Amino acid sequence: MALVTLGSGKASTGPARGDRADRIGACLERARSGETAALGDVVRELNPLLWHVARAEGLTTEEAADVVQTTWLELLRRLHDIRSPRAVTSWLVTAARREAWRVRERSRRQVPDGAAQLESVADPDPAPGERLLSDERDQALWRHFHGLPERCRTLLRIVAQVARPDYAAVAEAMGMPIGSIGPTRGRCLAKLREMLLADPGWSA
Amino acid sequence: MTDPADLPLDDGDQAILDRLAAVHAMLDPPPADLDERVLFAIALDSLDAEVARYRDQEIIGSGARGSERTHTITFDADSRAVMITITARPDSLVRIDGWLAPAAALQVELRLPEPAPPRVVTADPAGRFAFDGVPHGLAQLLVQPADGDTSPRVVTPAFTL
Repeated sequence: MALVTLGSGKASTGPARGDRADRIGACLERARSGETAALGDVVRELNPLLWHVARAEGLTTEEAADVVQTTWLELLRRLHDIRSPRAVTSWLVTAARREAWRVRERSRRQVPDGAAQLESVADPDPAPGERLLSDERDQALWRHFHGLPERCRTLLRIVAQVARPDYAAVAEAMGMPIGSIGPTRGRCLAKLREMLLADPGWSA
Repeated sequence: MTDPADLPLDDGDQAILDRLAAVHAMLDPPPADLDERVLFAIALDSLDAEVARYRDQEIIGSGARGSERTHTITFDADSRAVMITITARPDSLVRIDGWLAPAAALQVELRLPEPAPPRVVTADPAGRFAFDGVPHGLAQLLVQPADGDTSPRVVTPAFTL
Protein backbone atom coordinates (compact mmCIF):
# COMPACT_ATOMS: atom_id res chain seq x y z
CA MET A 1 0.00 0.00 0.00
CA ALA A 2 2.91 2.28 0.67
CA LEU A 3 3.93 1.79 -2.92
CA VAL A 4 0.66 3.06 -4.25
CA THR A 5 1.14 6.34 -2.49
CA LEU A 6 4.76 6.57 -3.53
CA GLY A 7 5.47 9.82 -5.22
CA SER A 8 1.97 11.11 -4.68
CA GLY A 9 3.52 13.61 -2.34
CA LYS A 10 6.08 14.60 -4.90
CA ALA A 11 5.18 16.88 -7.70
CA SER A 12 5.73 15.86 -11.24
CA THR A 13 8.96 17.04 -12.71
CA GLY A 14 7.34 17.51 -16.08
CA PRO A 15 5.27 20.36 -17.43
CA ALA A 16 3.22 20.52 -14.23
CA ARG A 17 6.17 22.02 -12.40
CA GLY A 18 5.04 25.60 -12.82
CA ASP A 19 1.50 24.61 -11.88
CA ARG A 20 2.74 23.20 -8.62
CA ALA A 21 4.57 26.38 -7.69
CA ASP A 22 1.50 28.40 -8.66
CA ARG A 23 -0.74 26.15 -6.64
CA ILE A 24 1.42 26.37 -3.54
CA GLY A 25 1.74 30.12 -4.04
CA ALA A 26 -2.05 30.47 -4.16
CA CYS A 27 -2.44 28.38 -0.98
CA LEU A 28 0.06 30.59 0.83
CA GLU A 29 -1.72 33.73 -0.31
CA ARG A 30 -5.03 32.48 1.04
CA ALA A 31 -3.39 31.40 4.30
CA ARG A 32 -1.83 34.85 4.65
CA SER A 33 -5.26 36.39 4.54
CA GLY A 34 -6.26 34.19 7.47
CA GLU A 35 -7.60 31.11 5.74
CA THR A 36 -5.21 28.58 7.26
CA ALA A 37 -7.32 25.70 5.95
CA ALA A 38 -5.90 26.61 2.55
CA LEU A 39 -2.63 25.07 3.74
CA GLY A 40 -4.22 21.62 3.83
CA ASP A 41 -2.79 20.45 0.52
CA VAL A 42 0.63 21.90 1.28
CA VAL A 43 0.64 20.15 4.66
CA ARG A 44 -0.30 16.81 3.14
CA GLU A 45 2.33 17.22 0.44
CA LEU A 46 5.21 18.28 2.67
CA ASN A 47 4.51 16.35 5.89
CA PRO A 48 6.44 13.24 4.77
CA LEU A 49 9.45 15.45 3.99
CA LEU A 50 9.37 17.07 7.44
CA TRP A 51 8.83 13.72 9.09
CA HIS A 52 11.97 12.32 7.50
CA VAL A 53 13.95 15.45 8.34
CA ALA A 54 13.09 14.96 12.01
CA ARG A 55 13.64 11.20 11.95
CA ALA A 56 16.97 11.59 10.18
CA GLU A 57 18.07 13.71 13.14
CA GLY A 58 17.56 10.66 15.35
CA LEU A 59 14.30 11.61 17.06
CA THR A 60 11.76 9.08 18.30
CA THR A 61 8.47 8.85 16.42
CA GLU A 62 6.70 10.86 19.15
CA GLU A 63 9.34 13.57 19.10
CA ALA A 64 9.37 13.70 15.32
CA ALA A 65 5.57 14.09 15.12
CA ASP A 66 5.86 16.90 17.62
CA VAL A 67 8.59 18.63 15.66
CA VAL A 68 6.54 18.47 12.47
CA GLN A 69 3.62 20.10 14.21
CA THR A 70 5.67 22.84 15.85
CA THR A 71 7.33 23.61 12.53
CA TRP A 72 3.96 24.27 10.86
CA LEU A 73 2.79 26.40 13.78
CA GLU A 74 5.96 28.46 13.48
CA LEU A 75 5.38 28.81 9.74
CA LEU A 76 2.11 30.60 10.45
CA ARG A 77 4.04 33.38 12.17
CA ARG A 78 6.42 33.68 9.23
CA LEU A 79 3.90 33.51 6.40
CA HIS A 80 4.17 37.19 5.70
CA ASP A 81 7.92 36.96 5.17
CA ILE A 82 7.96 33.86 2.99
CA ARG A 83 6.81 34.85 -0.44
CA SER A 84 7.88 32.18 -2.89
CA PRO A 85 6.70 28.58 -2.98
CA ARG A 86 10.31 27.41 -3.30
CA ALA A 87 11.26 29.37 -0.20
CA VAL A 88 8.56 27.61 1.82
CA THR A 89 10.09 24.18 1.32
CA SER A 90 13.58 25.25 2.33
CA TRP A 91 12.25 27.34 5.20
CA LEU A 92 10.32 24.33 6.51
CA VAL A 93 13.32 22.01 6.20
CA THR A 94 15.57 24.47 7.99
CA ALA A 95 13.01 25.09 10.74
CA ALA A 96 12.31 21.38 11.24
CA ARG A 97 16.02 20.64 11.61
CA ARG A 98 16.42 23.42 14.14
CA GLU A 99 13.43 22.12 16.11
CA ALA A 100 14.81 18.60 15.94
CA TRP A 101 18.17 19.72 17.36
CA ARG A 102 16.41 21.54 20.13
CA VAL A 103 14.42 18.45 21.07
CA ARG A 104 17.47 16.21 20.85
CA GLU A 105 19.53 18.46 23.09
CA ARG A 106 16.71 18.58 25.60
CA SER A 107 16.22 14.83 25.73
CA ARG A 108 19.95 14.36 26.21
CA ARG A 109 19.93 16.73 29.13
CA GLN A 110 17.13 14.77 30.77
CA VAL A 111 19.07 11.54 30.76
CA PRO A 112 21.24 11.19 33.88
CA ASP A 113 23.94 8.97 32.40
CA GLY A 114 25.38 8.75 28.94
CA ALA A 115 23.19 5.90 27.77
CA ALA A 116 20.82 7.89 25.61
CA GLN A 117 23.67 9.92 24.20
CA LEU A 118 25.35 6.79 22.96
CA GLU A 119 22.10 5.60 21.48
CA SER A 120 21.48 8.81 19.63
CA VAL A 121 24.96 8.87 18.18
CA ALA A 122 25.00 5.28 17.05
CA ASP A 123 22.68 4.27 14.28
CA PRO A 124 19.70 3.08 16.34
CA ASP A 125 19.14 0.12 14.08
CA PRO A 126 21.85 -0.67 11.56
CA ALA A 127 20.25 -1.98 8.36
CA PRO A 128 16.88 -1.94 10.09
CA GLY A 129 14.12 -3.76 8.40
CA GLU A 130 15.99 -5.27 5.50
CA ARG A 131 14.06 -8.44 6.22
CA LEU A 132 10.82 -6.46 6.00
CA LEU A 133 11.50 -5.68 2.37
CA SER A 134 10.30 -8.44 0.09
CA ASP A 135 11.65 -6.98 -3.13
CA GLU A 136 15.22 -8.01 -3.84
CA ARG A 137 16.05 -4.67 -5.44
CA ASP A 138 14.76 -2.83 -2.39
CA GLN A 139 16.90 -5.04 -0.18
CA ALA A 140 19.98 -4.24 -2.25
CA LEU A 141 19.17 -0.55 -2.21
CA TRP A 142 18.67 -0.55 1.55
CA ARG A 143 21.90 -2.45 2.19
CA HIS A 144 24.02 -0.11 0.11
CA PHE A 145 22.23 2.95 1.39
CA HIS A 146 23.22 1.91 4.91
CA GLY A 147 26.79 1.55 3.78
CA LEU A 148 26.94 5.28 3.00
CA PRO A 149 28.32 7.84 5.45
CA GLU A 150 25.67 9.29 7.72
CA ARG A 151 25.56 12.70 6.09
CA CYS A 152 24.98 11.08 2.69
CA ARG A 153 22.16 8.99 4.14
CA THR A 154 20.56 12.07 5.61
CA LEU A 155 20.90 14.07 2.39
CA LEU A 156 19.54 11.34 0.12
CA ARG A 157 16.74 10.40 2.49
CA ILE A 158 15.52 14.00 2.55
CA VAL A 159 16.10 14.80 -1.12
CA ALA A 160 14.18 11.66 -2.12
CA GLN A 161 11.12 13.25 -0.51
CA VAL A 162 11.08 16.41 -2.59
CA ALA A 163 10.35 17.35 -6.17
CA ARG A 164 13.37 17.58 -8.43
CA PRO A 165 13.32 21.36 -8.89
CA ASP A 166 13.74 21.65 -5.11
CA TYR A 167 16.77 19.36 -4.73
CA ALA A 168 19.40 22.08 -4.69
CA ALA A 169 17.42 24.35 -2.35
CA VAL A 170 16.76 21.51 0.06
CA ALA A 171 20.37 20.31 -0.03
CA GLU A 172 21.39 23.85 0.81
CA ALA A 173 18.88 23.96 3.66
CA MET A 174 20.50 20.75 4.90
CA GLY A 175 23.80 22.59 5.07
CA MET A 176 25.26 20.71 2.13
CA PRO A 177 27.59 22.44 -0.31
CA ILE A 178 26.24 23.58 -3.64
CA GLY A 179 26.46 20.74 -6.14
CA SER A 180 25.97 18.04 -3.50
CA ILE A 181 22.90 17.20 -5.52
CA GLY A 182 21.20 18.96 -8.42
CA PRO A 183 21.77 19.91 -11.11
CA THR A 184 24.56 17.32 -10.99
CA ARG A 185 24.35 13.94 -9.33
CA GLY A 186 26.68 14.77 -6.50
CA ARG A 187 29.00 12.48 -4.56
CA CYS A 188 26.48 10.72 -2.34
CA LEU A 189 24.19 9.63 -5.13
CA ALA A 190 27.13 8.81 -7.43
CA LYS A 191 28.51 6.52 -4.74
CA LEU A 192 25.19 4.78 -4.14
CA ARG A 193 24.61 4.38 -7.86
CA GLU A 194 28.05 2.88 -8.35
CA MET A 195 27.48 0.31 -5.59
CA LEU A 196 24.03 -0.57 -6.91
CA LEU A 197 25.22 -1.07 -10.47
CA ALA A 198 27.84 -3.50 -9.20
CA ASP A 199 25.21 -5.47 -7.27
CA PRO A 200 23.43 -8.24 -9.21
CA GLY A 201 20.53 -7.94 -6.76
CA TRP A 202 19.86 -4.45 -8.11
CA SER A 203 20.67 -4.90 -11.74
CA ALA A 204 18.73 -8.13 -12.11
CA MET B 1 37.42 11.11 -17.39
CA THR B 2 34.51 13.04 -15.99
CA ASP B 3 33.80 12.43 -12.33
CA PRO B 4 30.42 10.63 -12.21
CA ALA B 5 29.42 12.99 -9.41
CA ASP B 6 29.59 15.91 -11.85
CA LEU B 7 27.24 14.37 -14.40
CA PRO B 8 23.75 15.80 -14.60
CA LEU B 9 20.99 13.94 -12.80
CA ASP B 10 19.32 11.48 -15.12
CA ASP B 11 16.42 9.06 -15.05
CA GLY B 12 18.59 6.38 -13.44
CA ASP B 13 19.27 8.72 -10.51
CA GLN B 14 15.62 9.60 -10.32
CA ALA B 15 14.71 5.91 -10.19
CA ILE B 16 17.10 5.36 -7.28
CA LEU B 17 15.70 8.32 -5.36
CA ASP B 18 12.13 7.22 -6.02
CA ARG B 19 12.88 3.71 -4.71
CA LEU B 20 14.59 5.26 -1.70
CA ALA B 21 11.47 7.29 -0.94
CA ALA B 22 9.34 4.16 -1.34
CA VAL B 23 11.54 2.11 0.98
CA HIS B 24 11.49 4.82 3.64
CA ALA B 25 7.71 5.06 3.27
CA MET B 26 7.49 1.35 3.98
CA LEU B 27 9.99 1.16 6.83
CA ASP B 28 9.43 4.46 8.59
CA PRO B 29 6.07 5.92 7.64
CA PRO B 30 4.75 9.03 9.37
CA PRO B 31 2.01 8.30 11.92
CA ALA B 32 -1.35 7.84 10.21
CA ASP B 33 -2.82 10.81 12.08
CA LEU B 34 0.05 13.25 11.45
CA ASP B 35 -1.78 15.24 8.76
CA GLU B 36 -4.91 15.38 10.89
CA ARG B 37 -2.96 16.60 13.92
CA VAL B 38 -1.17 19.31 11.97
CA LEU B 39 -4.32 20.47 10.18
CA PHE B 40 -6.16 20.70 13.47
CA ALA B 41 -3.29 22.58 15.14
CA ILE B 42 -2.91 25.22 12.43
CA ALA B 43 -6.62 25.91 11.98
CA LEU B 44 -6.29 29.09 14.02
CA ASP B 45 -8.00 32.35 13.24
CA SER B 46 -4.88 34.45 13.50
CA LEU B 47 -1.28 33.88 12.50
CA ASP B 48 0.73 35.65 15.15
CA ALA B 49 0.51 33.33 18.14
CA GLU B 50 3.63 32.48 20.09
CA VAL B 51 4.23 28.73 19.85
CA ALA B 52 4.71 26.84 23.09
CA ARG B 53 6.94 23.77 22.89
CA TYR B 54 6.01 20.48 24.36
CA ARG B 55 8.54 20.02 27.15
CA ASP B 56 7.71 16.76 28.85
CA GLN B 57 5.04 14.39 29.95
CA GLU B 58 4.74 12.44 33.13
CA ILE B 59 2.36 9.59 33.77
CA ILE B 60 1.23 9.73 37.37
CA GLY B 61 -1.45 7.08 37.86
CA SER B 62 -0.88 3.50 36.81
CA GLY B 63 -4.37 3.02 35.48
CA ALA B 64 -4.65 -0.15 37.49
CA ARG B 65 -8.06 -1.19 38.71
CA GLY B 66 -10.18 1.77 39.55
CA SER B 67 -7.34 4.16 40.20
CA GLU B 68 -7.53 7.39 38.30
CA ARG B 69 -5.11 7.63 35.48
CA THR B 70 -3.55 11.04 35.13
CA HIS B 71 -0.73 12.52 33.20
CA THR B 72 0.94 15.88 33.22
CA ILE B 73 2.13 17.76 30.16
CA THR B 74 4.25 20.90 30.23
CA PHE B 75 4.47 23.37 27.37
CA ASP B 76 7.04 26.17 27.30
CA ALA B 77 6.74 29.43 25.43
CA ASP B 78 9.15 32.35 25.76
CA SER B 79 6.63 34.40 27.68
CA ARG B 80 4.87 31.72 29.71
CA ALA B 81 4.71 28.03 30.59
CA VAL B 82 1.48 26.05 30.59
CA MET B 83 1.25 22.88 32.63
CA ILE B 84 -1.78 20.63 32.49
CA THR B 85 -2.82 17.50 34.33
CA ILE B 86 -5.25 15.30 32.47
CA THR B 87 -7.37 12.98 34.56
CA ALA B 88 -9.46 10.23 33.01
CA ARG B 89 -12.94 10.08 34.50
CA PRO B 90 -14.91 6.84 34.89
CA ASP B 91 -17.42 8.05 32.27
CA SER B 92 -14.72 8.15 29.57
CA LEU B 93 -14.49 11.93 29.62
CA VAL B 94 -11.48 13.73 31.03
CA ARG B 95 -10.78 16.62 33.33
CA ILE B 96 -7.99 19.09 32.64
CA ASP B 97 -6.41 21.05 35.49
CA GLY B 98 -3.94 23.66 34.40
CA TRP B 99 -1.50 26.24 35.69
CA LEU B 100 0.03 29.23 34.00
CA ALA B 101 3.49 30.37 34.99
CA PRO B 102 4.07 33.17 35.60
CA ALA B 103 0.63 33.18 37.18
CA ALA B 104 -1.96 35.53 35.75
CA ALA B 105 -5.74 35.64 35.51
CA LEU B 106 -5.80 35.19 31.76
CA GLN B 107 -8.40 33.80 29.43
CA VAL B 108 -7.63 30.24 28.38
CA GLU B 109 -9.31 28.64 25.38
CA LEU B 110 -9.55 24.89 24.81
CA ARG B 111 -9.91 24.13 21.11
CA LEU B 112 -11.50 20.82 20.15
CA PRO B 113 -12.04 19.32 16.70
CA GLU B 114 -15.11 20.48 14.85
CA PRO B 115 -18.00 20.55 15.40
CA ALA B 116 -17.30 20.91 19.13
CA PRO B 117 -17.19 24.61 20.01
CA PRO B 118 -14.11 25.93 21.82
CA ARG B 119 -14.41 26.33 25.58
CA VAL B 120 -13.16 29.41 27.33
CA VAL B 121 -12.36 29.87 31.01
CA THR B 122 -10.47 32.49 32.96
CA ALA B 123 -7.58 31.44 35.17
CA ASP B 124 -7.63 32.58 38.78
CA PRO B 125 -4.96 35.02 40.01
CA ALA B 126 -2.76 32.05 40.91
CA GLY B 127 -2.87 31.01 37.25
CA ARG B 128 -5.06 27.96 37.82
CA PHE B 129 -7.75 26.92 35.40
CA ALA B 130 -9.80 23.79 34.69
CA PHE B 131 -11.95 22.20 32.01
CA ASP B 132 -14.16 19.29 33.01
CA GLY B 133 -16.12 16.75 31.00
CA VAL B 134 -13.89 16.99 27.95
CA PRO B 135 -14.13 14.19 25.37
CA HIS B 136 -11.08 12.15 24.40
CA GLY B 137 -9.33 13.15 21.21
CA LEU B 138 -7.29 16.08 19.94
CA ALA B 139 -7.15 19.32 21.87
CA GLN B 140 -5.16 22.55 21.88
CA LEU B 141 -4.84 25.42 24.33
CA LEU B 142 -4.64 29.13 23.61
CA VAL B 143 -3.74 31.62 26.29
CA GLN B 144 -4.88 35.17 25.56
CA PRO B 145 -2.78 38.11 26.68
CA ALA B 146 -4.11 40.34 29.44
CA ASP B 147 -6.29 43.32 28.52
CA GLY B 148 -4.14 46.10 27.22
CA ASP B 149 -1.17 43.78 26.73
CA THR B 150 -0.13 43.80 23.09
CA SER B 151 1.98 40.64 23.28
CA PRO B 152 0.72 37.74 21.18
CA ARG B 153 -1.32 34.93 22.60
CA VAL B 154 0.37 31.63 23.35
CA VAL B 155 -0.70 28.51 21.48
CA THR B 156 0.24 24.92 22.34
CA PRO B 157 0.67 22.15 19.81
CA ALA B 158 -2.28 19.81 19.50
CA PHE B 159 -2.19 17.02 22.06
CA THR B 160 -4.26 13.90 22.54
CA LEU B 161 -6.57 13.56 25.51
